[in-house]
Amino acid sequence: MPDQLDLMQGTLDMLILKAVSLGPLHGYGVLLRIQQISGEQLAIQQGSLYPALFRLEHQGVIASEWGESENKRKAKFYRLTAAGRKQLRAETEKWNRMAELMAGILSTTPEEI
Amino acid sequence: MLLAKLRSYVDSLLHRSRREDEIADELQFHVESRAADLERNGRGGLTHAEALRQARVEFGGVETHRADIRASLGLRWMDELGVDLRYAWRMLGRSKGFTAVAVGSLALGIGANTIIFSLAKGVLLDRLTVPHPEQLRQIAIDAGGDKSRAHSFWGSWDDVDGKTQATLMTYPIYRLMAQQNREHPVVEDIFAFKDLGQFDRLTATVDGHAHVVTGQMVSGNYYGQLGVRPQIGRSIEPVDDGTAGTGNVVMISDGMWARVFGRSPDVVGKTMLLNLVPMTIVGVNPPGFTGASAVQIEPDVFFPLSMQPVLVPMTMDNKHHPSVLDNTELWWVQTMARAKPGVSAATAQAAMTTWLDQDVKATMKAEKDTVNPTVSVLDGSQGIREANREFSTQLYVLATLTGLVLLLACANLANLLLARSAARQREMAVRLALGASRGRVLRQVLTESLLLSSLGGAAGLALGYAGRNVIPHMYTAPWQAGSLHADFDWAICAFTVAVSILTGVLFGVVPAWQATRTQVNAGLKDAAASATRRRKGLTGRGLVVIQIALSMLLVVGAGLFVATLRNLSKEHLGFDPQNILLFSVQAPAARYPSPKDVQLYERIEERLGRMPGVTGVTLSREAVLAGGASNLPFIPTDQPKRNGHDGIAWVQDVGRDFFGVYRMPLLYGRNFSSADTSTSQPLVIVNEALVRSFWPHENPIGKTVKMDRNDARIFEVAGIVADAKYSQLNGKVPPTAYRLYNQMDQERDMTFEVKTPLPPSDVLPRIRAAVAEIDRDVPVRDVRTQEAQIAATISQQRTFAVLTGAFGVLALVLACIGIYGLMAYDVARRTNEIGIRIALGARAGQMLRMVLHEVSWMAVVGIGAGLAASLLLTKYVKSMLYGLTATDPWILAGAGAILLTVALLAGWGPARRASRVQPMEALRHE
Repeated sequence: MPDQLDLMQGTLDMLILKAVSLGPLHGYGVLLRIQQISGEQLAIQQGSLYPALFRLEHQGVIASEWGESENKRKAKFYRLTAAGRKQLRAETEKWNRMAELMAGILSTTPEEI
Repeated sequence: MLLAKLRSYVDSLLHRSRREDEIADELQFHVESRAADLERNGRGGLTHAEALRQARVEFGGVETHRADIRASLGLRWMDELGVDLRYAWRMLGRSKGFTAVAVGSLALGIGANTIIFSLAKGVLLDRLTVPHPEQLRQIAIDAGGDKSRAHSFWGSWDDVDGKTQATLMTYPIYRLMAQQNREHPVVEDIFAFKDLGQFDRLTATVDGHAHVVTGQMVSGNYYGQLGVRPQIGRSIEPVDDGTAGTGNVVMISDGMWARVFGRSPDVVGKTMLLNLVPMTIVGVNPPGFTGASAVQIEPDVFFPLSMQPVLVPMTMDNKHHPSVLDNTELWWVQTMARAKPGVSAATAQAAMTTWLDQDVKATMKAEKDTVNPTVSVLDGSQGIREANREFSTQLYVLATLTGLVLLLACANLANLLLARSAARQREMAVRLALGASRGRVLRQVLTESLLLSSLGGAAGLALGYAGRNVIPHMYTAPWQAGSLHADFDWAICAFTVAVSILTGVLFGVVPAWQATRTQVNAGLKDAAASATRRRKGLTGRGLVVIQIALSMLLVVGAGLFVATLRNLSKEHLGFDPQNILLFSVQAPAARYPSPKDVQLYERIEERLGRMPGVTGVTLSREAVLAGGASNLPFIPTDQPKRNGHDGIAWVQDVGRDFFGVYRMPLLYGRNFSSADTSTSQPLVIVNEALVRSFWPHENPIGKTVKMDRNDARIFEVAGIVADAKYSQLNGKVPPTAYRLYNQMDQERDMTFEVKTPLPPSDVLPRIRAAVAEIDRDVPVRDVRTQEAQIAATISQQRTFAVLTGAFGVLALVLACIGIYGLMAYDVARRTNEIGIRIALGARAGQMLRMVLHEVSWMAVVGIGAGLAASLLLTKYVKSMLYGLTATDPWILAGAGAILLTVALLAGWGPARRASRVQPMEALRHE
């Protein structure tokens, strides 16, 4: 497997929102899903996950409730709220714009100046 | 998002332990899930224990994550606050002496401010207890100066810009204006009342018991316009205020209902005698209702204005005509109205001035060269506020002084804390080295200060509550009812809390700032000297200079007020006040129409004169030095009119033995004697001031005068008596004319003066029995000695002298502590330096002088600053001083000398310690 990339500052929130938007998950599940949809190419610090989850819940973009996991254990499940959906859309748009802009700048050739 | 955050906060706070458990469970679940996955998918088959261990390692430190989670939840500040508070509490517990001094001085400062604030709030801010008091307006008149058409008043007035302003109308004019307003309204219906105050109290007889009560006369629409409903029964209505002499209904106050009737519900319909006139009680005022005149004082009885001729008869021109309801010359009734929405005060004022002009022309006789009064519409939300203007000044002064005392306590504390924080350099350096941000350190030190100030504030609140009536009590005389009382409510608590926080920040910010400027390297080293020493020294000295300046200001203030009191007390009275017992008697008009009232007093005078132990009895219309006065035009028959208007003399109707009892020397002519009766020539005895004013170059004995244009009698000047104070201690003795009361037709109430060497407790019961024998229904009121009466007239000055004196002493103590603390710390810090100096040859005496030199230059600068401040500020209290200027050089010099002495005394201890330093010890002490 090629070397994993480290997460960029501030992107963990977006990843969590995206992961949860695909269906309610508990904390471990969020970790697994991010790894899954990133094709195992992102290195995520396990410990920083929970502070981020709690922060997002504090802000009201995700909501939690206790339920049963696959192996019948008690676990806390997170799902996206309406506010969260809105924020995910906005952040995604911003990210895409930024990426496009950066790509454009970085591909400037000397002739275009 | 904000709402969600708030909800999350509250949830975290309320369900703290449940949250913690949930977090623990969640993290546990995560680790176990990872371990299960590792077990299942791990290379080379990990055991359960190994998988668990790996999962834990991957996860990282649980405690750190939990701390991060709490930070995400926004709970970090709460955790830190809790830690800081616990730490601060431990630190304070370790130095109990410092804590006691700090909390004590804060409690005094904050407590004093709370007391003054509650008083100020009551006097300046509290409004009448009626619905929408802000709508009420006083309808006052501006009666110009000497040339005013309005010159006969019953009531009190203010001097505004040299003109007389008073909320007083003649009754006929009030009726006319009310009618004019009904036709073309500029305000809601005008209502009228007259607060009878302390000077016109009534005797209420309930079930045979006589009580002295205060009263307010009201118009029929008074209760309706004020919007006040009775607790029980009904209120006074327009139908009650009809023909003069009718309307025998009365409403009593809640206080009187409790005191006299024990809140019995069958008070409604009961008959009560008011000045021996039967009145029916129709209702009880709601609690807290104090009438329309003042917020602080609750009159006991309210009755219709129509009853004035019967209950409060005033024979102005004609002894057979007690009514002033049809008197067109006397301005006496107080008028107010609610503002009409949409009509500005200026419009109302203009309209009413026009009406007043018309009404004056219609009702009053024309007089040449006079100016009609105009109307001023004033705010009425606090009632008539008669005493308030003067009292406001006093309150401002007291508030400023207590503020200064608090500032002083803060400066003191800041200095003490600075010294303590210097000793904690090490601790601060360690904190910074361990990773605390400077903001965090600042927060911690400030928390300590706020804890201290909160403790002081709580103690101050308790002190303020306990002492809330101290100042009102100092102001009112013990025999006067209806004293001021200050309410203690939430606004005052809020004020105390705000002041505590402000104080904490004020004295805490300097040490906190210093703490954050710790150099980590230097702090961790062992060296006693540090790079910031120079600057710290200056801050400490600066604070002490401020303290001395504030103390100087307070001591100067104390000096001024104490000197004022002394000057007043030493005023030459012109009479001997010793051993004279005073009490007043009112002959109820129902039983004693004139001239029977005068005969009653004669009977009492004669009876008391026969009493064993009594060496002299007399009476007077106005009690001496009680603040009450009456004056009349004084027209010598042989003098043409002076300057177009008549001269005035202050009048005292007295008994034959007045000058004997008071030991006032008769200078010329003769005294009143038993030959002077109601049928002989009316006499008047004048004082020197009057002679100087009216007959400066002639002998007045035998000359005749008329007093008051409407009194046909001619008085003959029988003698000249030496000047003596009349109604107040300050100022010159006014021209006074003494008449014999036996020659008067009517006297509503008189003050008896009984000279006796026996103690009052001995004589008083016999006096009461003697008067009761003559008439059971005439009570003996307001018993006090003449000396107590004089003391009461200067109660304000005495209150101020006591308070400012206390503040001055407090200021000196605080300054003393401050200087001692600073110099002691300084000397301790410089032990090294002093040791070297001595080792190099300096003598002990030189070290002593060095320290004292420090102290004295700080004191000089402080005294100078305080002097400058005094010169600037004392002019505001000029009106409260007597016998000295606001910049009296003796007082300023004296204050400076006291402060310098105190400063040197405070510095003496540390100075001696400096001179006693042993060089070997000092050099060893690194």
